[in-house]
Amino acid sequence: MSTTKRKFNLGMARFSGLYVWGIFIIIFAIWVPKYFLTMATASSIASAQVVTGVMAFAVMIPLIAGVFDLSVGSSAIMGSIFSVSFQTQYHMNMWLSIVLTILIGLGIGLINGFVVVKLHVNSFIATLGMGSIVIALVTWECGGLQPLLPTSLTWGNLTQAFFGGGFQVGIFYLVALAFLLWWVLSFTPAGRYLFAIGSNSEAARLSGVSADFWIWSSLACSGFLAGFAGVLFSSQTGPSLSFGSGLLLPAFAAVFLGSTQLTPGRFNVWGTLLAIFVLATGVQGLQFVIQAPWLDGLFNGVALIAAVAFAVSRQRSEGKRKDIKQNEMVTIESPSSLDESPSVELNEALNHAAGSGAE
Amino acid sequence: MATGLNPNSDGLQAGTISPPGEVVPALAAMSVSKTFSGNRVLSDVSMTLEPGEIRMLLGGNGSGKSTFIKILSGYHHKDEGGEIRIGGVPLPDASAHGAHQLGARFVHQDLGLVEDSSILDNMFMTDKFPVRFGTVDARQAKQRTNAALAEVGLDLNHRTLVRDLTAVQKTGVAIARAIGLSDEGSIRLLVLDEPTATLPAAEVEQLLTTVKRIANSGVAVIYVTHRFDEVFELPSKVTVLRGGIEVLTTDSSDLTRDDLVAHIVGSEVLEVVQGTSGATFAKTVKPVLRVEGLETPLVSGLSFDVKPGEVLGFSGVTGSGRELINSAVFGATTRLGGSVNCDGMEIKPNRPDLAIRAGIAFVPADRKIHGGLMSLSARENISISGLNKFWKFPRINRKAESSDAIDWFERLAVQPLGAIAAVLGSFSGGNQQKVIMGKWMRLGPKVMLFEEPTQGVDVGAKAEIYRQFSEASAAGSALVISSADVDELVAVCHRVLVLRHGHIAEELTGADLTVVNVTRASLVTSNSDQTEGAGQ
Repeated sequence: MSTTKRKFNLGMARFSGLYVWGIFIIIFAIWVPKYFLTMATASSIASAQVVTGVMAFAVMIPLIAGVFDLSVGSSAIMGSIFSVSFQTQYHMNMWLSIVLTILIGLGIGLINGFVVVKLHVNSFIATLGMGSIVIALVTWECGGLQPLLPTSLTWGNLTQAFFGGGFQVGIFYLVALAFLLWWVLSFTPAGRYLFAIGSNSEAARLSGVSADFWIWSSLACSGFLAGFAGVLFSSQTGPSLSFGSGLLLPAFAAVFLGSTQLTPGRFNVWGTLLAIFVLATGVQGLQFVIQAPWLDGLFNGVALIAAVAFAVSRQRSEGKRKDIKQNEMVTIESPSSLDESPSVELNEALNHAAGSGAE
Repeated sequence: MATGLNPNSDGLQAGTISPPGEVVPALAAMSVSKTFSGNRVLSDVSMTLEPGEIRMLLGGNGSGKSTFIKILSGYHHKDEGGEIRIGGVPLPDASAHGAHQLGARFVHQDLGLVEDSSILDNMFMTDKFPVRFGTVDARQAKQRTNAALAEVGLDLNHRTLVRDLTAVQKTGVAIARAIGLSDEGSIRLLVLDEPTATLPAAEVEQLLTTVKRIANSGVAVIYVTHRFDEVFELPSKVTVLRGGIEVLTTDSSDLTRDDLVAHIVGSEVLEVVQGTSGATFAKTVKPVLRVEGLETPLVSGLSFDVKPGEVLGFSGVTGSGRELINSAVFGATTRLGGSVNCDGMEIKPNRPDLAIRAGIAFVPADRKIHGGLMSLSARENISISGLNKFWKFPRINRKAESSDAIDWFERLAVQPLGAIAAVLGSFSGGNQQKVIMGKWMRLGPKVMLFEEPTQGVDVGAKAEIYRQFSEASAAGSALVISSADVDELVAVCHRVLVLRHGHIAEELTGADLTVVNVTRASLVTSNSDQTEGAGQ
């Protein structure tokens, strides 16, 4: 991706996240040095973002193919509850519980894929509905009560054990996952196909890309990762019936914000990670200053809207330049295309960032 | 219809005060010209229409009829010098509002109706809903809708959804919307741009009745069409444009079909000679692509085949069924029936991936919608259909991929040269088309299907694309080109199949393959309209 050279007021926009991050760090280092400039703060920001990061990646993969997955929050809740209840209620081995839980996440993703690809339900609707169903089933299974935590220390240590340099081990899972995704998305045909489908699913199909297969796969990956995020959360803070929905917005905010960074116009792994940590640093710093519980939501909401507005406006200005060029050309009598929906314009505006993909 | 009066009160000054008793022409266009970036597409076209007159406007691709209409409707500026008056009042330049105020109305080929809304809602969508106390005045809206429908002779319930109407009823509703809501006598000119292009033959008669009725009420009608039958069925004058010049204006009763063809095509037809033209393909050579009994929404039972190295063209006016043949063969649009066989491999419908594997390439007409990944780089566009060549665990060989892309940029002279990392959307139309051709040609396809390959492409890029056609054909690829541009087909094809009403009307090869013959075959409905399948 690094080869994407564009005449695009170099650096400033692409790396704006890095600059903002730097500015945050400097401001809070001066403002509240006693609290902010500590290893504990760095470590806590890092480990607090592990689950958000995995969720963001879960959201990002289908988004690249132009498909929304709004069920990741519910799948993560499922992951947090089941991974524990398999151990404490059904007395399963820890590793077996983890594998089983993540497989259930994968299953949720596969069902999402079926509904989107085979039943042609808009992904937004399909995954919104699926999310609700998953929550209902999880609540039914556990009777509305959060299961007991496993007593063994190993469970917590899975994510909380300290590891090189004072950071908890959880953050390394996130980094490893980031590298894996970076490889898949940037260096393998699978990544290419996802981006092609997201750019124009019909054109991709006509290029021989099995759009259906890849959209289905992307939703399966998303379910898998959401299940994994749930397991991590449970190991970090214990099972919860509510945390997942709250993480949906930060995950989307990070992904969209990330798409304005490093390789602008494309969802990308490192931009997403950057966005997460910029937001987290800002929130954490401000928490030290004014201790307000509503800061997190405010920050993420503003970031999400600003990121998408920025991406759309960039695309619109590009589109305008091209329209002018085309009007200059001699008009030709074209056969009207028969199968185009009237909402092309609307779709186009959102397409690169949020097109509702498979139709 | 008011004549000799000047009904405009909107500050548009009357240019002349006509002597009493003399009829003011509904439209008086004097030496209208249009130049696009140095290229003159319309020169000194004049046209006068009396109230109630019907004028058939004919002309081939690029004849300037669309440009002329777009100037009338206020979409394009006209060049300095000419003048257009509607009902005696000068038409302000490039003002859609001005044209509307002077009583000019336009119904385009795609009617601009919202399928899922009722007739009534469609009626007022472009106008203002009648409102009473802030809510839609249903009674008034209903009355005006019914009156408008009655004016064009339609008896329909205003609640009917547009999608439940027949094709000709939809056209009728669009016309009613254009002219029916204005005050009696304020409409002077109605322009119908190919209203019958997509109508089934059986419904055309109804539309002609409507047109006659409107003309009888004193509205002048400009009627653009490709169908000759209509020219002779309506009492009308005919104007033919060719290359931006008005070549004929006369009463339709003074004309024969052959006259019309001759005027549309021109007497001195430039036959672009090219090396392969006239080459015959030995009967013994096996076709590489065989299509049998192809069914699409517009054609039925169509069969043809193509031999390696052959360039086959499909011609036909809009609505003839030509448009969807290539896309249905490839699987881009639904194939309702029939079989496609490429070099012994049977290709299932709607499976572009299988078609590609069998060696078929498809360059669609609409690059933005179907052809290109506009937000991805040119390099990624070129490699997308054949990534396997560069993929070797653990990574795509970016270097090989890039040098391959650069290679194709050079071979196809894509401008700017070497800009393989730029997003496809940033290239000009012609260069986008070249990139898309490169993406297919690097696969060395056995069959290449093209739809409108040079649409929206400048002259230089056009020449380059033609050169690639002959190279691909020389290399043994079979080419199937569907194009509205007859000159293009005659220049590059060995054989042209002309479609009419969903059937192959004629097969032209060798010396018979001329612009005149192709045009005649696509326009003239002879009584002996045969529906034989072509193929050897």
